Amino acid sequence: MAHIKVVRRSMRPEEWTDLRFGWLKRHIYSSKWEIENLMIRDARQTAEMEFQYYSEDYRPLKKGDMYFTPDGTAFIRADVNIPEHLQGKELWFSLKTAAEICVKVNGRYIGGVDPNRERMLLSPYVNDKEVLHFEMMGYNRSKPDDERNPESLSVRGCRQIFEGAYICTVNHAVQDLVWDFELLLDIAKSELFNEDYRAFLNRELNNAMNLIDFDSDEISGVEKAKKYVDEVIYANDTYKGSGDVALIAHSHLDVAYYWRRIHAVQKNLRTVLIQLRLMDKYPDFKYTHTQPYVYETLEKYYPEVFEELKEKVASGQFEPVGAMYVEPDCNVPSAESLIRQCLYGQKTYERMFGKKVNNAWLPDVFGNSWILPQILKKSGVDYFVSNKMSTWNDTNRFPHNNFKWKGIDGSEVYACVPPTHFITWNMPSQIQENWEAYIDKDQGGQTMNMFGYGDGGSGCTEEMIEMMHRFKKLSVMPKCEHTGGAEFLEKNLKDNPNLETWDGELYLEMHRGTFTTKSDLKRINRRLEYKFRTAEMVSLMRGEDNTEKITEAYKKLLINQFHDILPGSHIHPVFGDAMADYREIEAELDGIIGTGTKYFNTLNFNRDALTFVPNKKGTATRYGEKGNWLIPNIPSLSSATLRSTKFAGEWISIGDTVETPYYSVKFNSDGSIESLYDKELQREWAKGDFNKLKLYTDNPGNYDAWDILPNYKDKQIEVKVVSPLTLKEKDGESASFVCTLGTEKSTWEMTVRLFRRSRGIEVENKVNWQEKHILAKAEFSCNVLTRKAVCDTSAGYIERETHRNTTWQQARFECCHHKWCDMSEFGGGVALINDGKYGVGLYENTMSLSLLRATIRPDVVSDMGEHNFCYMILPHKGDPIGARVNEIALQYNVPLVRCDAQWKLPHFEPLYLQAAKKSEDGTMTVIRLSEQKGTRGSIRLDRKVKLLNMLEEVEDETDVIEYKPFEIITIGL
Amino acid sequence: MTVQSYVEEVLQPKLQGDGGWVEYVCLENGVLTLTFRGECSKCLILHRCVAWIEEQIKLDLRKNVKVNAVRKKPYFQDT
Repeated sequence: MAHIKVVRRSMRPEEWTDLRFGWLKRHIYSSKWEIENLMIRDARQTAEMEFQYYSEDYRPLKKGDMYFTPDGTAFIRADVNIPEHLQGKELWFSLKTAAEICVKVNGRYIGGVDPNRERMLLSPYVNDKEVLHFEMMGYNRSKPDDERNPESLSVRGCRQIFEGAYICTVNHAVQDLVWDFELLLDIAKSELFNEDYRAFLNRELNNAMNLIDFDSDEISGVEKAKKYVDEVIYANDTYKGSGDVALIAHSHLDVAYYWRRIHAVQKNLRTVLIQLRLMDKYPDFKYTHTQPYVYETLEKYYPEVFEELKEKVASGQFEPVGAMYVEPDCNVPSAESLIRQCLYGQKTYERMFGKKVNNAWLPDVFGNSWILPQILKKSGVDYFVSNKMSTWNDTNRFPHNNFKWKGIDGSEVYACVPPTHFITWNMPSQIQENWEAYIDKDQGGQTMNMFGYGDGGSGCTEEMIEMMHRFKKLSVMPKCEHTGGAEFLEKNLKDNPNLETWDGELYLEMHRGTFTTKSDLKRINRRLEYKFRTAEMVSLMRGEDNTEKITEAYKKLLINQFHDILPGSHIHPVFGDAMADYREIEAELDGIIGTGTKYFNTLNFNRDALTFVPNKKGTATRYGEKGNWLIPNIPSLSSATLRSTKFAGEWISIGDTVETPYYSVKFNSDGSIESLYDKELQREWAKGDFNKLKLYTDNPGNYDAWDILPNYKDKQIEVKVVSPLTLKEKDGESASFVCTLGTEKSTWEMTVRLFRRSRGIEVENKVNWQEKHILAKAEFSCNVLTRKAVCDTSAGYIERETHRNTTWQQARFECCHHKWCDMSEFGGGVALINDGKYGVGLYENTMSLSLLRATIRPDVVSDMGEHNFCYMILPHKGDPIGARVNEIALQYNVPLVRCDAQWKLPHFEPLYLQAAKKSEDGTMTVIRLSEQKGTRGSIRLDRKVKLLNMLEEVEDETDVIEYKPFEIITIGL
Repeated sequence: MTVQSYVEEVLQPKLQGDGGWVEYVCLENGVLTLTFRGECSKCLILHRCVAWIEEQIKLDLRKNVKVNAVRKKPYFQDT
């Protein structure tokens, strides 16, 4: 029999206050006049500013009607004659809605309503004696983000009930008192504040309420209650708070997430517009807004609002922040991509506002690569802001909030990791929580507290600003200062000698699955990053100016590196949009690259690694394509014709072991290697499972696409051998052994390739993936004694401890790497080179490369379907640097290109030629060089070159390039 | 257009745009069984969407169906 718990008790005094507070709020409007001639037209957005309309014309919209459809945009309009009795008064438009609605009156954008604000001011913007032509565009977002109103939360969904639209007047006495109560009740209910003060508040708020007569037809006593609040509650300064909190108004905006990127255009419009209107009303209000890309969409589609924005930028109220074009993922993109985020971001701000910004504003990104400080510093960015490490780390408390962040090359930027979330609503309890969580109280100056709703929630509200104006009346609150982003950073961090330094990556102890989820995006992103490099180089060599086309395509790539796109944490249509963008980008770049009769080596070192060259008459197969494995032996930045070698001798013997010139290999039927004996180095490389496909249950909970849990290895799924490993193809250079593995739902064809003239062993995987909540890894237990692994970052390498001695190592059970990772001891080691995988587990002597996931939230079918990817096992002598693992990995990822043009510039060896392009202003050739081995030295040139920053601004001239470990150098020719 | 292709080609993209998911199961005796996944699976006002689906099918295909909505919640929200 079901047990029903029955609780009977009397109403508490605080509940009596709450109850009357609800009654008080009903009197905020002194008059409401319903607009009864509204008409609506349903539609769905199909592209930026393009809509599929569901009907030819508008239909009437009445209170109680259903409105909005799944993923729907609704257009609502009405011609309104303001009744005479309302003319001349301060008029508001009110519409309680779960949707995000932007309102235009008589052709001018006036404001907006959404779940966080149900009214907007009309009076200063309209002539109430004219007919007011209302045009509204609303997008109904079913997925709530940081929604404070539980009542509204419960009705979120595609179909909404229209609750009526009104022209209203506000009873400001009631409204003011409501804000007072909102503020004081928040303190009274928060255990973060002094218990005695809260008792005082509960008592006196009740007394204040007692002065209001709710029983008469007209509410009375509001002024008396307000006076009581002023003279008794605000006047009490017995209770002293502590702290110094900077309040930064900000609205985080995911360019795509639970919505497609096309919707971000209007989300941004509403957010900007609403903040502009708040600035009109509150001259002391300042607001920070990031992502140059969204400014571009505003400029393009809503130029009149953009002009208003520019005026507020000039007046100092609207503050552009964040040098990067979007807020990208900062793990997976390459160094050059992150540089382009800064370059295009800063250039956009400079064009729009005549100035660059000095900060990177990345509140929501999932950890930050160690290469970032140098890139920021050389892009005019001295300050870095990112919230997640403080609020989301699942194991360790990140030890700083205001600090200096030292990068891989030794560059330093000032960093702020605010103690609390980037979306708050400026309530005293949230500010107090921020102060209490702030670690650097003694040396860091103020703590940063951002406030404002995000993701189309349209930022700050009147209420948040009204709260802020009252904080100074409360002695119990920390000292609060409303300030801009740059102002805060310069005031508290600049030249602060007491700041601690964090030297290393800013690893987020959460969202470790985002290195792997939606693997296609990662792989294509990698391929396109290198294709951009090729396209720019080829354009330069041919003397073609493709800057405009390349910049446009590059920006598209950068948008798709947004921190909820490339990491894979988005709904299904976002994935479709990204793949469509990738196809467009690739077609554009292929067109630019063109073709030629010779093969050109775009790398600035000799191309000496065995390479697969496609050829219809070839005798080997890779990625389903015929071709030949050959050693191109093409010198740095040179071209040559290639011929396949016709080696007719026997180079491999197949018995219990497979004998090649390099190895004696003992395979298992599932493609894993039981023994990998190195004939040259006379040692065994395998010690346990080696190239072993392992499937683990992967149930991380609500953050499905984002997280991998530390206990993922608890339950392993059996991989069956459908057909055992057998030789499938052999020619004079390579031999391919193929096995088919499977589960009940998926098939996994693994091809293991051995080579006559390469130490590398390539593994190609062709997968029909139909799993749910499974993580696929390839594991390599190496016969190596080491306590560290070395991982490529795309601009140098990072060493990571492989033991689990402390919680810091324990938390890093899954890390991000780029083209390769390596475990070595003094005499040699094993490197794993990939062509688009980023997640790896590193524990003792085992590397486990993450291959595929199968998450169902936010995308129900994430990663389902066909996959084809390769990685290469590369046992080597000595350490990975001496063994030239990075150079081999570059050759593995950068294809030879058919091009007959000639490279006429210096080769800059031993630095890696990361990019060669025409400068954005078209006046010079820009060369980007990257030191990737951790060495120091100089290159003497035959001419003087300009030393540039990453924004292509001249800083110096030289004919000797001095470089230090992991330095990225930009020069102009 | 069949009801199944209408669900898969017309309705599905719309629901997916909202983070939802609908799958055709069967149509028997005027009862259209649909599986709702993703955000739809835990939507508190799914009945409104279901009514809209019935309206749309009537409007576009001129067929009267009664939708039998089956929710398939992810394990971590299956309460």
